[in-house]
Amino acid sequence: MSLSHHTTRLPNGLEIIGEAHPDSHSFAAGLFVRAGSRDETAPINGVSHFLEHMMFKGSGEYSWQDVNRIFDELGARYNAFTTQEMTAYYANVLPEFSRRTIDHLAHLLRPAIRQGDFDTEKKVILEEIAMYQDDPGHRIYEKLMELHFADHPLGMSVLGAAEVIERLPRDRMADYFARNYGPGNMVLVVTGRFDFQQVVEWADERMGQWNGVRRVRRADRPRPQKRRERLVDPKLNRHYLMAMMPAPPVQDERRYAAKALSDVIGDAEGSRLYWALVDNAIAEEADFGYSPHDGCGAYYLELISDPDRAARAYDIALGELGKVAEDLGDDEVDRAKNKIASQIVLEGESPLGRLRSIGAMWVYDQPYHSLEQDMRILESLTAESLRSLVADFPLEPTTVVELTGTGGAD
Amino acid sequence: MDRPDTGKDRGLSECYFQHVLENGMVVLGERMSGVESAAMTLLTPAGPDTDPVDRCGSATVLSDLVLRGAGGRDSHALTDHLDRLGLQRSSSLGAHHTRFAAAAIASKVMRGIEVYADILRRAHLPPDGFESSRDLAIQALESMEDDPRQKLMVKLREWHLPSPYGRSSMGQRDHLEKLTIELCRDDYARRYRAAGTILAVAGRIDFDELCERAESCFGDWPEGEELAIELMPPPGNRHHEVQQSEQTHIGIAYPSIPELDEDYYAMRLAMEALGGGMSGRLFTELREKRGLVYNVWAGYTSLKGLGSIMGYAGTSNERAQQTLDMFIAELHRLSDGLAEDELDRAKVGLKAGTIMSGESTSARSGAIAYDYFLRGRIRTLEEMKHRIDEVTLDRVNAWLAEHRPGPFTIVTVGPEALEARA
Repeated sequence: MSLSHHTTRLPNGLEIIGEAHPDSHSFAAGLFVRAGSRDETAPINGVSHFLEHMMFKGSGEYSWQDVNRIFDELGARYNAFTTQEMTAYYANVLPEFSRRTIDHLAHLLRPAIRQGDFDTEKKVILEEIAMYQDDPGHRIYEKLMELHFADHPLGMSVLGAAEVIERLPRDRMADYFARNYGPGNMVLVVTGRFDFQQVVEWADERMGQWNGVRRVRRADRPRPQKRRERLVDPKLNRHYLMAMMPAPPVQDERRYAAKALSDVIGDAEGSRLYWALVDNAIAEEADFGYSPHDGCGAYYLELISDPDRAARAYDIALGELGKVAEDLGDDEVDRAKNKIASQIVLEGESPLGRLRSIGAMWVYDQPYHSLEQDMRILESLTAESLRSLVADFPLEPTTVVELTGTGGAD
Repeated sequence: MDRPDTGKDRGLSECYFQHVLENGMVVLGERMSGVESAAMTLLTPAGPDTDPVDRCGSATVLSDLVLRGAGGRDSHALTDHLDRLGLQRSSSLGAHHTRFAAAAIASKVMRGIEVYADILRRAHLPPDGFESSRDLAIQALESMEDDPRQKLMVKLREWHLPSPYGRSSMGQRDHLEKLTIELCRDDYARRYRAAGTILAVAGRIDFDELCERAESCFGDWPEGEELAIELMPPPGNRHHEVQQSEQTHIGIAYPSIPELDEDYYAMRLAMEALGGGMSGRLFTELREKRGLVYNVWAGYTSLKGLGSIMGYAGTSNERAQQTLDMFIAELHRLSDGLAEDELDRAKVGLKAGTIMSGESTSARSGAIAYDYFLRGRIRTLEEMKHRIDEVTLDRVNAWLAEHRPGPFTIVTVGPEALEARA
């Protein structure tokens, strides 16, 4: 992996980070904004995600037809996403289109937010919300986040509720944009094949006149309370259960251990939950994962099973979580490390994969770290370091949500 | 250039490799620069299309069961071994195959090949594992009832494609309940066979090493007998599944040309203009102009010798009829032809996608495996670029005028049936 790293900052505060891979066939560029649903208030919940859609509706110079047409003329693989803590816009193109891509991203991030486009796109957002209502996995996740983070803004939905979106006025979005989309609150990341000096010149020309400061995010820590709730929807066939518990925040070096530990416990194959629940078909799915956030983190457990096996499945899962610290072996930690090492190698071969990782580092105030550094930290993990993590963050669910057609685990 | 240049067996550049073992198994390779990884795709001819008529779902049960111990390793030891190699792996079913895939640092993938040889040739198929594999297959069917989008796509294939190609790879509940370990073992013996199996590896690889390994792992695997398939027409072309879902999920399909048709690239470009990219017609007309949908797409999909166009739209129930009507209207409007700029964008999009897939070892190993299966040879990235470039607007538009969309198969999942006016 012969990757070289570059960084600079334009006079207006826009930071630019590059990771060059001279063997790449392509160039990727993305703008990562430090704003997501946790930076909203209840009356405008969902605005970050709706705004992400509005970016594709044109700037002062461009109509939505222009935005889409130009991306397609570049043959770009392009998209955007919104999470609780960031909104990202990116494109992956052949290297000959690098300059036009930077240019186009600059247009994208200065939206006109026209009233007519806003009204049409609102319908699309409402369709997206409806689509996710047909997805039990999404419904239970949203409820889990809401209960686990209680009154903390991390518990707010990324998409927002249909009633809130319906009432949202265009000017509240424009105001949210002005407060959050200053150059101090975002980073331009480039990966793949490029000349960094050139990229900086293009960016300066197109983004150098942006202004706005970095916004300070509410830093209070969530205090998860023990909560358990059951949602019943008679049309559902299966039993869904999700549980959540605190884990290290994204800024914590122990996040590597947390990732390895969650793979040992709940990776799709060969993990403890796999052998305890899926191998014998007590559950159809049994996953355990780690979601790092800004200033806090969470582990989540997810079970899907027949309703009449749900109680047993959850008991077994709790049993597995309870004994990890006692009988964790070096061999299973090594296997988890080997799988993560492969993920790291494969990510390094994908300009888009690296783009997302580097953007997230910046959003979370972490110094840039290369794949080699990741690999070294991964190498240093031992069963002992994972055990000490469990001592600091016990594997005891604080929040449990079930979604079921009828019965359930009680 | 017209044709790819010469390689070991036939017509390929030095980056590609293709070799057929004496028993008929095919070994393919693509050497990629600038990568440390390799990815393997194994296609075995145990697809749902050869499930015995009264045992639909046998292939899916087997695809899980074969991983529960093989060769000298029991279920635990096998999984632990693959994990220790760090292989990122998956197994899935297409109409014609059970597909196993794995990716990791190249040397680990090469070592994984012998494990997959055990899986394909010496699986233990334990009785308790069988019960679990079957149970999981039945649970997957139950889960599909909670996922209207997935259900729609399964039903669309069932109602559009001739049986057994349109069969759901997930099987049928009553058949799964009657399945036994003996029947599964019998199926394994007949359907996991050398002739019809394709091993494709892409990435940082050495062809001689790949060839030797394939010979030593699979060289003495019996050829096996090809199973006859009798095609039967689908049950009809209109179907509605009642479900109290938030959205109505709409699926539309119609026949298209096979992969080997001389107008294949012209057709692909036309479909790109319709359903690819955000400036594509469906996205523009249904989403951007009218806000009818969040998710809408259409594209070409191919089985051996049988091409189809399949499309999807999800929309709120009260706007579903309008969405279906608009979708059909856009399909008919194709017959009037594309504008020059639409074709230009479609070309750039298809070419860029092709070239950028050259960065992913997993994408390339899958692509060369399916190329060989559908075309009997590998297409190089250069060849695809060239073939896309040479398509003219006149040719696309002539093709569109001659090949009017239809007859349509229309399947919906939602609270109420729609009127299919097409």
